[in-house]
Amino acid sequence: MNRIALLLLLLLTSTQDVLATGSPSIVVVVNPESGVDKLSKDEVVDIFLGRYRKLPSGKTALPIDVSEASTERARFYQLLVKKSSAEMSSYWARLVFSGQTSPPFQVPDTRTALELVRSSPNAIAYVDRASVTSDVKVVFELKP
Amino acid sequence: MTRALPRSVVARTTLGILLLAAVMGVIFAVMASWRVRNAEQDRLIARVHELSATVESTASVACFLQDKTLAKEITTGLMKNRILSGVRIRSGDQVLYQAGGRAPAKGLSRGAVDEISRTIHSPFDPTAVVGEITMFVSHAEIEAQAIAYSRYTTWMLGLQLAIVAGGVALLVYLLITRPIKGISDELKWLGVRAGMRLTVPSFHRSDEIGQLIVNVNSLITRLTDAVATERDLRKAHEVSERRMRLVLEKADTGILVLDENGTVLSCNPSFTRILGGTDTATTGASLAALLAPHGPLVAGLIAESFESGQPRDADLEIEARGRGKVWVELSVNPLGPNLLQGLVNDITERKRAECAAHELAMRDSITGLLNRRGLDGALNAALASVSESKQLALLLVDLDYFKAVNDTFGHAAGDLVLREVANVLAQCVRRTDIVGRSGGDEFVVLLPGIEGAYKAEEIAANIIAGLHKPIAVGDGKFAHVGASIGIALTGPTREPAAELMRRADVAMYAAKQAGRGRAFLRHQSGPPSEDGPRRTAVA
Repeated sequence: MNRIALLLLLLLTSTQDVLATGSPSIVVVVNPESGVDKLSKDEVVDIFLGRYRKLPSGKTALPIDVSEASTERARFYQLLVKKSSAEMSSYWARLVFSGQTSPPFQVPDTRTALELVRSSPNAIAYVDRASVTSDVKVVFELKP
Repeated sequence: MTRALPRSVVARTTLGILLLAAVMGVIFAVMASWRVRNAEQDRLIARVHELSATVESTASVACFLQDKTLAKEITTGLMKNRILSGVRIRSGDQVLYQAGGRAPAKGLSRGAVDEISRTIHSPFDPTAVVGEITMFVSHAEIEAQAIAYSRYTTWMLGLQLAIVAGGVALLVYLLITRPIKGISDELKWLGVRAGMRLTVPSFHRSDEIGQLIVNVNSLITRLTDAVATERDLRKAHEVSERRMRLVLEKADTGILVLDENGTVLSCNPSFTRILGGTDTATTGASLAALLAPHGPLVAGLIAESFESGQPRDADLEIEARGRGKVWVELSVNPLGPNLLQGLVNDITERKRAECAAHELAMRDSITGLLNRRGLDGALNAALASVSESKQLALLLVDLDYFKAVNDTFGHAAGDLVLREVANVLAQCVRRTDIVGRSGGDEFVVLLPGIEGAYKAEEIAANIIAGLHKPIAVGDGKFAHVGASIGIALTGPTREPAAELMRRADVAMYAAKQAGRGRAFLRHQSGPPSEDGPRRTAVA
């Protein structure tokens, strides 16, 4: 019992800012024409961290990152792989020279990201649940 | 073997220390190199683990993305470590990159690890295994590095030991052997004379070396003092010995030393002079043999003195070579357990004087015949040699008219008559007979060694005849005396001298009674009447 309580406490502490802001969950969205209805967490991780850039439908996936300054990006990676923005930068820096894979395509804000998703069946992006519009399809949800 | 060793203490000490250092160095080096080698191997293996840990995060990314370029990057980097012979990064079944490979296993030490694998987890999920990195260890390199390091350590150890040994040797040389060598050299040239000393170096004034020098100095002082004392004693001894020898040589007394057998070990010149011999003849000879006629007596004297531990002495008459008969007084005194001192004095003169005095006391001053005392001695001596066949006759001769001579012609004439009577008696007796004047006009004649009365009676008759003749007393006058003689002859029974004398007296009285001028004999036993006074001769 105690151990579980401790784990819970740790979890709460690490996601304190999320809870403090009372932010809603973050969702991964794709173009309705992408042919994808649902993605697992591993599939999301593979796509966004460059391991496997293909959608289950066989289409090439084009992951989109919002600006580093945005809270969505920090929250997304924190919730997805428990990494901070700095850690993520370090991760991508290692791969700069290898050239085999590259970081997700970076856009200034959520609005631009949604626009890209709406215009491309390959695009895949993350947004606040609140920002989701009907012309994109939610395939994965990260609850805080 | 010892020829090969250096003679010098410095060299020996240094050599010893260096040898010890070398031996210790080798022992420590062997132990150290083994330990160091093992430790170094462990350290290098640990280093391989560290290397794998270092590249783990990057390797996890490479495996996660199956990024061969990144894997190559990592592998190339790792291969720069010479202790790795190969590196392989694998993701699942696929080998992302491999450089080098397993090292040849020859000469591999037991239990040695030749590859270290590390499971690589996903950078985003610590529970998910995404690959494995395998590092092949180059044991040759590890061995070489370990040996190099161990050799370096050994060299350092050896160098340290050498420096310490050298330092100790130098210190030993400076502090101990050099000062000792100095003392030794100084001692070598030190003259033996009073007041000589070794100098104490100021640096060693209060240490053991200084103490040694002080002690040596005090020993030298004691020795020189002892030598001086010895010299003085010897000088004093020499003087005393010379004085002693002078005393010995110049003494009139013969001084000699005898051993337990009576052999003369040494003697002074006086001893040889008294014996009339030579030095060579006396030393080593037996004293008993030297005093030949008294050999047994001398031997007995020596034995007695040894037994009792008391001095013994005796007067001996000996035959000295070239000096005739000599009287010596021999005295032996024990000197030690088996030594005697003998003293020999020449007492010939004294003996001669003594004899003269004795003679004088025994003789009648008028006639020169034996007096009563002399006669007593002679009679006792003669009686002692009487036997069955050798009888003794005693003739008591009494002058018949001597009182008249004295009265008529005076005492001087009386003395003349007495002297003439002595002459007559001497002429009448045999050479061995003894004539004496027992007093007044009474004479005694002892006739020893006769057998029977015949010879005595004959001599008595001759005496009576001789004394019947007139005797010239000067101025053309003559005295007429005669003699009555009593004869006593010893018989089978021993009797005292007084008894013989008494019998002669009785016989003489009988002769007087019978009319003078005759000799009567009286035998030993039986009354006079029975035997009867016998008239033997009449003028």
